[in-house]
Amino acid sequence: MEYIIETQQVKRAFGSFEAIRGIDLCIRPGETYGLIGPNGAGKTTLIRMFVGLLRPTAGRVVVLGREMPEKAVLSQVGYMTQARAIYTDLSVRENVRFFGAMAGRQDSKRIDEVIALVDLSDWADSRVATLSGGMQQRVSLACALVHRPRLLLLDEPTVGVDPQLRVQFWDYFGHLNAKGVTIVVSSHVMDEAEHCHRLGFIRAGKLLAEGSPQALRAQAGTETLEQAFLKFSED
Amino acid sequence: MDIKRIFTLAGRVFTQIIHDRRTLALIFVAPLFTLSLAGVLLKSNPQDIALGVVNEDQGVAGFSLAGLIVEELKSSDTFAVTDLAPDEVDVALRAGRVKGAVIFATDFSQAIREGRQTTIGLRLEGSNPSTASNIRNHLSRLMMQRLASLATMAGQGGGGLPVLIEPSFLYGGPQFDALDYIAPVYIVFFVFFFVFLLTCVFFLRERSLGTMERLLATPINRLEIVLGYMLGLGIFALIQSAVVLLVTVFALNVDYAGNLLVVFVIEVMLMTVAANMGILASTFASNEFQVVQFIPLVIVPQMLLSGTVWAIEEMPAWLQPPAWLMPMTYANRAMRAVMIKGQGMESIWGDVLILAGFAALMIALGALTVRREVK
Repeated sequence: MEYIIETQQVKRAFGSFEAIRGIDLCIRPGETYGLIGPNGAGKTTLIRMFVGLLRPTAGRVVVLGREMPEKAVLSQVGYMTQARAIYTDLSVRENVRFFGAMAGRQDSKRIDEVIALVDLSDWADSRVATLSGGMQQRVSLACALVHRPRLLLLDEPTVGVDPQLRVQFWDYFGHLNAKGVTIVVSSHVMDEAEHCHRLGFIRAGKLLAEGSPQALRAQAGTETLEQAFLKFSED
Repeated sequence: MDIKRIFTLAGRVFTQIIHDRRTLALIFVAPLFTLSLAGVLLKSNPQDIALGVVNEDQGVAGFSLAGLIVEELKSSDTFAVTDLAPDEVDVALRAGRVKGAVIFATDFSQAIREGRQTTIGLRLEGSNPSTASNIRNHLSRLMMQRLASLATMAGQGGGGLPVLIEPSFLYGGPQFDALDYIAPVYIVFFVFFFVFLLTCVFFLRERSLGTMERLLATPINRLEIVLGYMLGLGIFALIQSAVVLLVTVFALNVDYAGNLLVVFVIEVMLMTVAANMGILASTFASNEFQVVQFIPLVIVPQMLLSGTVWAIEEMPAWLQPPAWLMPMTYANRAMRAVMIKGQGMESIWGDVLILAGFAALMIALGALTVRREVK
């Protein structure tokens, strides 16, 4: 298996609206790949197809060597949505344990470890509803990490996150990436894109350009990624 | 299918309810409170109904039959008797001082003596039919008894005794009352109500918090989710019905005849239907307020039409087909067969099978709506 994720001319329509209009992507093992584009570009639709929540209307999505949707690969995938998507009436530990168990991982050592990773050890037994928004976001991340996924799909993980936590999140991502976890992250914030190895510029369901931040800037002949994105949009 | 995942999910639902103390208390307090209330109301006979009496009977040879009946009325607990003049009757009824008035004509005793047809007048206030029919029933029972004993005393017709109806019962017995009839299906109602509403709210929350999407992005499949929910909520439903059973037997003295294991089978089937109906219904609600609106839409019609209080065979013909479309109808029938008639699995398997059919239908419909999420 060469690629962690591979799509071939994948399309997805909702009724008459075409959200994804034929995208070819290859995501390599161990890289951090950024799906960059404005709201409504199709980033979330693409990620939901990666995780098997949506079926492509045409084309193929292959994740970890299996054509999606396929439940079997999901124990190796971590998925964090923009919404916190955790149980607010349960404690931090109960949430992490639950999502771990869903992916077949139940050892309490790992649960403590992942809670420590997101700096919530002191709040492990607190009800999530009593925690601040940023802490809840970290719980959500812990739930996506607990089963040691090979592939981490992060849909706008830093939206509504304060600058300090955002820096912290990118530290976590870098740390995970260093351990060999492949990360796909969607964002519409260009300065976050700089953290990625490779970027895919997405607009209106199409892949405009692909490459490392430096390569994209050079190709567009612009100073910033923002300008590069606009340049590619015009073409 | 992964049993461990099902148990993990059930455990999570269980923990969520345990954390929610108020819901937990309500699960047990609500059925017990309402059942006790119903118990008191259904067990007790009406008392001290205000009744006016207009006695104009002049009697025969100093003996007034009406006078004897009035004595009897005054000594009964059912009525609180006031003597009235003929022109006071409607005034007293309008003022609400009496709910009805019995009127004996001047020649009442004379007519009876001569074997002539005569009537006892009964003027009723009538705005509350149940009070009115209570007065009629108790009055005629009292008079039948009194007249019969008088006839015996007088030995009229050469010692011919009046005919008495002496009932015997196939099920239940003379002491068997409305509560004994309703208590078995009370469990059905609360199990259905509780499992339906909680599944509905839980699924709605999963959808709106986004946890359902996250759950579907893990290896757990839909069937495992449904089973996990049924197990997690089912534990509470079973404890709830056990408590209701104990209270009806020991505190409300309801007579049960049946096998508890069969009751358990009926409940599990009913829970399956209720849980899946809840899941299905939750897809049509976008907030918890809308879930509350399912109570008059889903729960109340079932309660009215499923034979909980009114027998389906006695309903208007056009209402009977919808009544047979209610899952609770079959649970009620089976539950009564077991608890009142003491029948076993052999006589209720048809109803259990129909419940299984309803469950399968709900699962299929629910699966269709979930495909809308993962398409």
